[in-house]
Amino acid sequence: MRCTLLRPLLLFLTLLSAAAADDLPTLWAERVKSVVAVEYVVETEVARQPSAAMGTVIDREGTVILPSGAIDPRTPVWQLKDFKVYRAGDPTGVAGEYLGQEAFTGWHYLRVAAEARAALVPVTAFAASGDGRAVALADFVWGIGLRPKDEDFMPYILQSHLALIQSLPQRTGIAQQEVAAPGLPVFDRAGDLVGVAGPSGGQTFLQITRTGRPTPVMLINVEESSTFLLAGEVLPHLDRRPRSPSGRPLAWLGAYGLEPMDREGAKYLELSAQAGVVVSEVLEGSPAEKAGLRARDILLALDGRPLPPLRPDRVVVRFIEREIERRAPGDRLTLTVLRGRDRLEIATVLGEEPKLMREAERKHFDRIGVTVREFVYGDAVERRVKVADVAGVVAHHAKPSGPAAVAGLRQDDWIREIDGVEVRTFADAVARLAGIEKDEARAEFVLLVARGGETAVLRVKLK
Amino acid sequence: MLALYAGGGSTEQGPGRRGFGRWLVPLLVAGAWFSTVSPAGAAMSRGFNRLLEAVVRIDVREVAFEGGTRRYAASIGSGVILTADGVVLTNAHVVSPRAVEINVTLSNLERVGARLVGWDHWTDLAVLRLDLAEVQRRGFKLAHAQFGDSRKLFPGQVVFAVGTPHGLTRTVTRGIVSNTNRYFEDTRGIGGYETGTFNTWLQTDAAINPGNSGGPLVTDDGRVIGISSRGYMGANNLGFAIPSATAREVMEKLVRDGAIVRSYVGLVPGALQDLENFYALELNTGVLVNSVDPGSPAARAGLRPGDIVLSLNGAKVDGRFPEQLPPIQHQIAGQPVGSSLALVVKRGSETRPFTVVTEKLESRVGEEWAFERWGLSVRKVSRAYARENQLDDTTGVVVIGVQPGFPAESAGITRGDVITKINQDPIGSLEVLKSAHAAYEAKPAPMLLETERNRRVSLFLLKP
Repeated sequence: MRCTLLRPLLLFLTLLSAAAADDLPTLWAERVKSVVAVEYVVETEVARQPSAAMGTVIDREGTVILPSGAIDPRTPVWQLKDFKVYRAGDPTGVAGEYLGQEAFTGWHYLRVAAEARAALVPVTAFAASGDGRAVALADFVWGIGLRPKDEDFMPYILQSHLALIQSLPQRTGIAQQEVAAPGLPVFDRAGDLVGVAGPSGGQTFLQITRTGRPTPVMLINVEESSTFLLAGEVLPHLDRRPRSPSGRPLAWLGAYGLEPMDREGAKYLELSAQAGVVVSEVLEGSPAEKAGLRARDILLALDGRPLPPLRPDRVVVRFIEREIERRAPGDRLTLTVLRGRDRLEIATVLGEEPKLMREAERKHFDRIGVTVREFVYGDAVERRVKVADVAGVVAHHAKPSGPAAVAGLRQDDWIREIDGVEVRTFADAVARLAGIEKDEARAEFVLLVARGGETAVLRVKLK
Repeated sequence: MLALYAGGGSTEQGPGRRGFGRWLVPLLVAGAWFSTVSPAGAAMSRGFNRLLEAVVRIDVREVAFEGGTRRYAASIGSGVILTADGVVLTNAHVVSPRAVEINVTLSNLERVGARLVGWDHWTDLAVLRLDLAEVQRRGFKLAHAQFGDSRKLFPGQVVFAVGTPHGLTRTVTRGIVSNTNRYFEDTRGIGGYETGTFNTWLQTDAAINPGNSGGPLVTDDGRVIGISSRGYMGANNLGFAIPSATAREVMEKLVRDGAIVRSYVGLVPGALQDLENFYALELNTGVLVNSVDPGSPAARAGLRPGDIVLSLNGAKVDGRFPEQLPPIQHQIAGQPVGSSLALVVKRGSETRPFTVVTEKLESRVGEEWAFERWGLSVRKVSRAYARENQLDDTTGVVVIGVQPGFPAESAGITRGDVITKINQDPIGSLEVLKSAHAAYEAKPAPMLLETERNRRVSLFLLKP
């Protein structure tokens, strides 16, 4: 939507909807109180990166949910700063407190400062029942979009009709056009909640230039979405709250590289009306390994329930991941697998996810021009090394044209030795680099780094 | 970017020929004018005349297994006859084992057949043998050139390149030696094969163009001091040749054995330049171990990156500059396969001996094949490829191409996948796939493939 068009368009839409249902402007005026714009800053040692998202108010305590894509999953929680919440059409923001990400739904939770809560209305006030209003094909649906900050996050109406419902694996409505901003609610003609918009699907267009041949390009509308999770996938899970800002506990199985079989392959293995998923690797020390799962086992069922044949094939992987995320460390999960010609039952007890890359410790060294990061379990998996052999740190960032980068250090290089001495732990690396950085007389030092199975000795010149 | 200087395929040659056709005759006339009117100068020395008679044009048709099918492509290069019994030296990127038809044009402009005796992509050299029976039957006389000593060259010395640039037969260009010891290594330089690890190169400003490849670089007495091989794309007169010291050795071995066997230990050396202080070394001592290939003999012997090799089998080594590394690699490669190599290594403050038992050196490029009913081209996983890609072993083949609309592509197989099993059988050799393909040809039936792509295992069904 273009700025200059906004007012006439809004007027037009208002008139149009007024003709369709007399009370839509009234419904709209009430329901814009359940949406907010959120600003936050990702603060690293070297930069502050402002970001924005949109969220929905879910209770009287000022709790707001943001879709999982609102925050880059690689961002460490401690770098998330200065959350501010804005009501639709109101340029005065209030502080928000980040509560963390819920493992199963993926939503980020936020709490709005007390003084602003009175003006907000939870979206649950518009839910017809515990599971929300069912919606059928061709039903009229509408939602809310928010203009950018320099337009005071002005709300505007979006409306469409339901075109399709798919299981991805959640029940997802796809409207004919954009129906709400990602993260904001979708309603029916009566104003009952029918869903919450997710990220927009991409649309393919042909790009035609005067010179070249037409090339297909995919465009994704980041401001508005035509895709929404049905209320039945949202309302029952609103009670799940992150227990800590880190999002932990996180359930872990340790079956790596889940690859769905296509329909032909499943048929060949005489799997009818169900999906099969190949386990590429079983991670070292994981609950899956302890329970006896093996690489190349074909996963057929979870707790005795066959994997559903979802379309496209890949969706079943998300289904399995959700079945794990739904559970907590310590919970049991029985896998049925096909190994060769045998069907086996494997009883696993889920564990706690090892430290994630975003939770790894980091330290920036300005003079050297590098940020080093603790080497965590995922790094060992990525580099195919034994967890027991793990030592060293990872170059999280090499400042362009900084001494380390000039010497040839690149992001994600694995630093094994500093000045010819093996790096054992993160603290060890930090102590050494800090010593070098502090020593004004130091003209150079030497790193041994590994990259893709090869190593190189790099000479970092500080003067 | 360094480019190979064999003539391109037929599609590239077409417009080239049309463009130059008009000038072909005048250039040849000019050549004749030099030889009759100008009695003085290098071109008239007896040795040089003899060299000119020994230079040949090589037309090659070769098969490629890309895109899920066999494809044939033609190219043009140069070569030089070096023995009375018709041994021709050229580049490995001109004639490889993929060649299905080799025609050699002699100085009398007549064509005769030839066969590949052996090739060595590491030094970019190949040896052909002319069809002597045909030569005798048609009454041709063969001239052959002689090697000079590339070690005695000096920068600024006048040299000549003779060959078939852009298909222009018998072209002589003149220049000087620009550098006698150029380091240049390329892990995928010869059609995906490694090159330049064991030799340095001569650099010349004699014009070397596509098609000069395999032709001789000679001194004014017609002695072959190099084999022209490559040039810099987009640069002027930066040409490179394999020095005759290397060429002579490789040719003799290829004529004798048909192949060159080298030893491999898995050390990747780095130049020590400016790091002597850090490692507390005397100047001009030692080679830095920059990397150790995982699972290689050196890794098994306990060598580590950052080690400094001080001596090999008792002889001191000096790898201060990059140019010094190929001779050291050559020394290691020259050990008998399976022999013990004694290294003295400095690690930190201690110095201690290591013994490494060498393995046979292999290319990362394995044998290739195309399964045409499936529309699938593959390359066997070699030991080097498995190491490089952290595969558990050499089981499987790498997909190098699929043909759209054929069973492999329809099943979802893509370039870069490693096919590890067919109908649950591990693919230990190409033969496993060949017999499965033969069975499929006789009676098409679905076949289950197991593949790995970025460590992810998938199952696909090949269907008629």
